[in-house]
Amino acid sequence: MKGLAPILFAIVALAMVPLITSSNVVINFLVMALLIALVGQGWNLLGGYGGQYSFGHAAFFGTGAYVTAILQMRYGINAWVGFVIGIAAGALVGAVIGLLIFRAGLKGSYFALVTLAFAEVLRIVASVAPITGAGVGTLLKLDLRPEAFQFQSRALFYWIILAMVGLSLVLTRLIEGSRFGAYLVAVRENEDAASALGVDATMVKLCAMTISAAMTAAGGCFYAQYFLFLDAGIAYGPWISIEALLAPIIGGVGTVFGPLLGALVVKTLGEVTKLMTGDAPGLDLVIYGGVLILVVAFAPRGIAGLFADLRQRFGFSKIGGEGSRG
Amino acid sequence: MSRSTVTRRHFLQTSALGAAAAAGVLHAPAVLRAQGSAVKIGVLHPVSGALSYSGQQGRIGAQMAIDEINAAGGIKSLKGAKIEAVLGDAQSTPDGGNAEVEKMNAAGVAAVVGGYASAICLSASQTAARYDLPYVVDVGVVDSIVTRGLKNTFRFGPGFGIIAKTALDNLVTINEAAGKAAKTVMIVHEDSAFGSGLAKLLNAQLPERGFQVLETIPHPTPTRDFNNVVLKIKAQNPDIVIPANYYNEYVLLARTMQQQRVQPKGIYSVLGGAASSYKFVKEFPEAAQYIMDCNHWFDPKNQKALELKKKIEAKGDFYTYEVYMNYSCVLLLSDALERAASADRAKIIAALESSTFAGHVMPYGPTKFVNGQNQGAAPVNTQVLNKDIEVIFPAAFASAKAVFPMPKA
Repeated sequence: MKGLAPILFAIVALAMVPLITSSNVVINFLVMALLIALVGQGWNLLGGYGGQYSFGHAAFFGTGAYVTAILQMRYGINAWVGFVIGIAAGALVGAVIGLLIFRAGLKGSYFALVTLAFAEVLRIVASVAPITGAGVGTLLKLDLRPEAFQFQSRALFYWIILAMVGLSLVLTRLIEGSRFGAYLVAVRENEDAASALGVDATMVKLCAMTISAAMTAAGGCFYAQYFLFLDAGIAYGPWISIEALLAPIIGGVGTVFGPLLGALVVKTLGEVTKLMTGDAPGLDLVIYGGVLILVVAFAPRGIAGLFADLRQRFGFSKIGGEGSRG
Repeated sequence: MSRSTVTRRHFLQTSALGAAAAAGVLHAPAVLRAQGSAVKIGVLHPVSGALSYSGQQGRIGAQMAIDEINAAGGIKSLKGAKIEAVLGDAQSTPDGGNAEVEKMNAAGVAAVVGGYASAICLSASQTAARYDLPYVVDVGVVDSIVTRGLKNTFRFGPGFGIIAKTALDNLVTINEAAGKAAKTVMIVHEDSAFGSGLAKLLNAQLPERGFQVLETIPHPTPTRDFNNVVLKIKAQNPDIVIPANYYNEYVLLARTMQQQRVQPKGIYSVLGGAASSYKFVKEFPEAAQYIMDCNHWFDPKNQKALELKKKIEAKGDFYTYEVYMNYSCVLLLSDALERAASADRAKIIAALESSTFAGHVMPYGPTKFVNGQNQGAAPVNTQVLNKDIEVIFPAAFASAKAVFPMPKA
């Protein structure tokens, strides 16, 4: 299938990393970057292709994480089964929130605000509800067996998250090339025109939100298995909503590789600034913020867009330069 | 129609560059630090983010102990090997703590000290457990830190269970001495592991001891406005307010209460982030006056503790609990290193397990670790009296008598 080869190349290339280095620092770093790429891909599907900028993807991330953790800890359900149910639960939350928002016809900044509100409500509920362990949080037992979805080797975790990112890339590419993808972009560009042509805009957005929520929830499930500890701030806190939208925006909104590129660049930038500033606490965050502003100012279509522009300017382009958000 | 603008070649070029840069950068510290025969110790604190003040204080304490040990000739059983700190910033998040422990492990540390917040301790000690890396928790009070069966994790200070019990026992004693002046209580707590866990314990145990809990108000960290919380307190008019939160929120709450002239019979905190902090007492003496706290505290009759206080204050820093707890934890670890006579992780763990370390500055009983928890650890009760912090309980360490109820201003 056209367009899948680059994904295969990228994933195979990344899969080689644990064979080259045995450093868990590098692996751990890449696991976090890939986690953000996965969550960001979820956001990108809805925000990049569908034009619905969500500020509350934490709602899905947290639901996936909590459902996986609670099923294991309270109901003794196998971690792998819990993982799948966690993703389904995230998708369900996405569908319900989507149904409420899209039926009410909320768009643009209202959509952003309401998604943020849902995430915050869930955060507050999780911080008091007994089933989530309230503020004390939920602690998964350290049980380093593959049956329990825990591995002694960080590399296995790495390959699993990489496979999930690979799947998300393939899925995004397939959607992009499908009728549904065309509807989604049509809705993004002009919802009224799309409706006039017979596209069921609400249904299209709802489907996108459900798939988007499932991807993000998968990230949450993975987080729970990897760190084995959750509290309301981690699961539903604004940090993950921000990471989810930062990666695709930096990488290139509405492009297949945008979230992956963005996550790698953002995380590398974070590490580099941290190392450069040595032991001066907080300075890294200042530099990090400054660089982000520069990136957004000079490459408003993200890194993917920047490359396209450069290619076009220096003329060695095929048909490049048709950025997604033109 | 949206087509990806990234070609295969471009993607591979950029990602290869990125990966190379990342790998190079991430490997750098290991190369820089691989020198000499010093014993490396990971010093992990949240020195940026919401908990940065406490994290920085903790780092000061750990650094102070390391400097003293090195000045006194290092670890003698290791031919005077110096202790080299590998500093880590957990950025006030559990995954930040996890990433730092990975780096410390790669840098070849013999043990890790710190964590501060419970959530960071939980995550960081678990990561350390993967490498059988000894982990000494400096503060983290949630009891699940030491009940997970992790062999590598040791907590020198007291946990929730013992702190809440001591706090309640002493509260009852103080209240009875005042003719049972107080009957109603309101709890204001931060909503992460520490504050919520404590609120839960208090809610369960206060009624058994004759107090009625009027309301329990959670708030996130950071919170930058307590007006509504204080209005609620004003409306309910409890006899005692029990705050359980970190430094900034505690100070803000106390000041807002002062501004709105809310004066209960007592402010009695359990692990109040600021209630026994010299910084708070110095900067806001009126808001701090008469506040009682059950918290970590140094032994006021210990010469070493007082000397350390002078040293820290001479540097212009405040002598807060993070400082002396980290100081004591590093000393505990260096004692274990001394007895293990090796930087081997398993030997250090064994030495910590059998530790009877007494050279610390805390008002604790004999050091004895059971499942990683120091059985001698205990909190004390303090009260802010005349711009100073006095110990009011237990009697063996007390420097003043409790003033309760608060005299009306």
